[in-house]
Amino acid sequence: MNDDRKKAEDSEALPALPKYLSEALDLKLISQGAEALVYFSKAHPYLPATLSSDVIHNSPISPAGYILKFRPPKPYRHALLDAQLTKHRTLSEVRSLYKMMLAGVHVPMFVAVDPRQGLIWMENIDGPSLKKWIWGQEEEIEKKVSDEDSRLTMREQTVKPTLVAVGHEISKLHFMDMVHGDLTTSNLVLRRKDDGSLEPVIIDFGLSQQSTLPEDKAVDLYVLERAFISTHPMHAEEYITWLLEGYLAGFGQGKKTAKFKAREIMKKLEAVRLRGRKRSMVG
Amino acid sequence: MPSRIQVPEPERETIAIGLEGSANKLGVGIIRHFPRPNKNSHRPPAQILSNIRHTYITPPGEGFLPRDTAKHHRSYVVKLVQQALKQSGIPIDDIDCVCFTQGPGMGAPLQSVAIAARTISLMWDKPLVGVNHCVGHIEMGREITGATNPVVLYVSGGNTQVIAYSHQRYRIFGETLDIAVGNCLDRFARTLHIPNDPSPGYNIEQLARKGKHYVELPYTVKGMDVSMSGILAFIDGLANDIFGGKAKYADDGSEITREDLCFSLQETIFAMLVEITERAMAHVGSQQVLIVGGVGCNERLQEMMGIMARDRGGAVYATDERFCIDNGIMIAHAGLLAYETGYRTSLEDSVCTQRFRTDEVFLAWRND
Ligand SMILES: Nc1ncnc2c1ncn2[C@@H]1O[C@H](COP(=O)(O)OP(=O)(O)O)[C@@H](O)[C@H]1O
Ligand SMILES: [Mg+2]
Repeated sequence: MNDDRKKAEDSEALPALPKYLSEALDLKLISQGAEALVYFSKAHPYLPATLSSDVIHNSPISPAGYILKFRPPKPYRHALLDAQLTKHRTLSEVRSLYKMMLAGVHVPMFVAVDPRQGLIWMENIDGPSLKKWIWGQEEEIEKKVSDEDSRLTMREQTVKPTLVAVGHEISKLHFMDMVHGDLTTSNLVLRRKDDGSLEPVIIDFGLSQQSTLPEDKAVDLYVLERAFISTHPMHAEEYITWLLEGYLAGFGQGKKTAKFKAREIMKKLEAVRLRGRKRSMVG
Repeated sequence: MPSRIQVPEPERETIAIGLEGSANKLGVGIIRHFPRPNKNSHRPPAQILSNIRHTYITPPGEGFLPRDTAKHHRSYVVKLVQQALKQSGIPIDDIDCVCFTQGPGMGAPLQSVAIAARTISLMWDKPLVGVNHCVGHIEMGREITGATNPVVLYVSGGNTQVIAYSHQRYRIFGETLDIAVGNCLDRFARTLHIPNDPSPGYNIEQLARKGKHYVELPYTVKGMDVSMSGILAFIDGLANDIFGGKAKYADDGSEITREDLCFSLQETIFAMLVEITERAMAHVGSQQVLIVGGVGCNERLQEMMGIMARDRGGAVYATDERFCIDNGIMIAHAGLLAYETGYRTSLEDSVCTQRFRTDEVFLAWRND
């Protein structure tokens, strides 16, 4: 997170937030993500400031502050296309966040939205992204022990349970016929719970859509697989196996009809992988 | 399997000839590398001794077929090798290795050039080095622009990939799920009967500059992947309507022209490419973008990428048509990098592969 923050502050010509926000609130830029600028704020967007600190303190919800996600205009693309994409993505993100929250999937709680300006308020998830967490674990394990057998044992103790839990969380999403559209290890955050354990939370729903097709879910998993292979190449296969283990065990909590559905998704995943390898690349 | 022999880092100059013919361009180039002055310094810039290309151009409305393209390469390769040698001014004896494109690409053209490379290698008694075409593009782009560790957008007639380096391989972060961007542009050029000379993409770019009205097209980004076939089908349909006598109108009442269609197609698919590149940059935390491949010459794409990179506090690196369009020098350069680390391709292993993924190549010459 610190690295991101530094980088975000380094870049000079960041597009500006609407003035009514930047002047009224104490906002801290924490990330320049793939398409959005992400700010942290302690204040609730529309509760009075005097009340909010109190409410926040005594409320069981959102003690970790708020996130303001801003999709700025992208000057590189045509203004019409830009306006249309910003509005569409912002709306699909909040719709999905809301639906998934009701369904009990771990996502940031949605607070407020301004689709034309591309602004979403949501709960801040306190914890590292899965990407940074895995990098950290790998480094630590490498330092601690030197032979591959002991390293594997350690990965099985720490990384495996987390990835099984991540797989389980994604299965909940898919079981609700929600396809994320951009599953990467940056878009999975691990929330540090009071007892010190980590709980996966899925973020960044701008490319999400509702779909009943097994194919779409398979592509979702394939995109995540590829993210593992490119970002965590040393143990990607192992990680994917663990993640799919959690996915299959979690899908529909093992109900019979769910098992059938899950099997179909796995079959499609096989086909999508094959297609990827076979894609001809001329010239 | 190609073999790697143990060799010390060269302390003298090395020279390679490179032969490229994976699509409709035949290229021959000769390059010279200089040794590092000491262990802590970088290799000095490579010297391009010659870089010659001959393109197989088909009539408007027609694409290039493998058989005819192979025939073109066969009939020009000897002449191009002779020209390249002459221009370089170096004797054959000074050449260290013969590099050729082993894939990916079209089977017949690849094979015709591989045969030429094998023949030269035997005739001159120089080792062969098979090169991955995509790695050739990336290494040449890095050499020319000085970009050290960029996210690479590789866009050509057959490829659309977003690539970043990690653990001695170029890893593919995103790619097209169906057809390549260059293929999409070429096929639309055929629909409009735009000439293939000098290239269909270049002519679309010129028309697009005169376009004024943005026509809404499908926009398909999936994570770091894109899909183009739906867009092509949609805009082909529009074009056929318009030229079949069913005019379409913009909001201001004026008729949609073919210039408008070219403009809208470019705006849409380039926005998709810039978006997935930005996603990859955010994911790996990089500030540099390198654009390689034939479509990388497009100035509108370079401009859009430049604006995105600037907003992230970074910069875009691109090369001109000598290096971004398929050429022999990039094959010579990437081949020579491999040669210097002891890589050789024996005659038995010199078979071409139409499918040769970028991440299959182990980059012995990079250890950052
Ligand atoms: N609710 C949140 N809680 C904590 N961190 C967040 C939250 N939303 C976003 N972030 C951080 O900001 C980054 C970018 O946000 P994201 O929603 O993924 O936008 P983008 O579409 O630009 O990738 C994330 O990778 C994460 O580190
Ligand atoms: Mg994200």
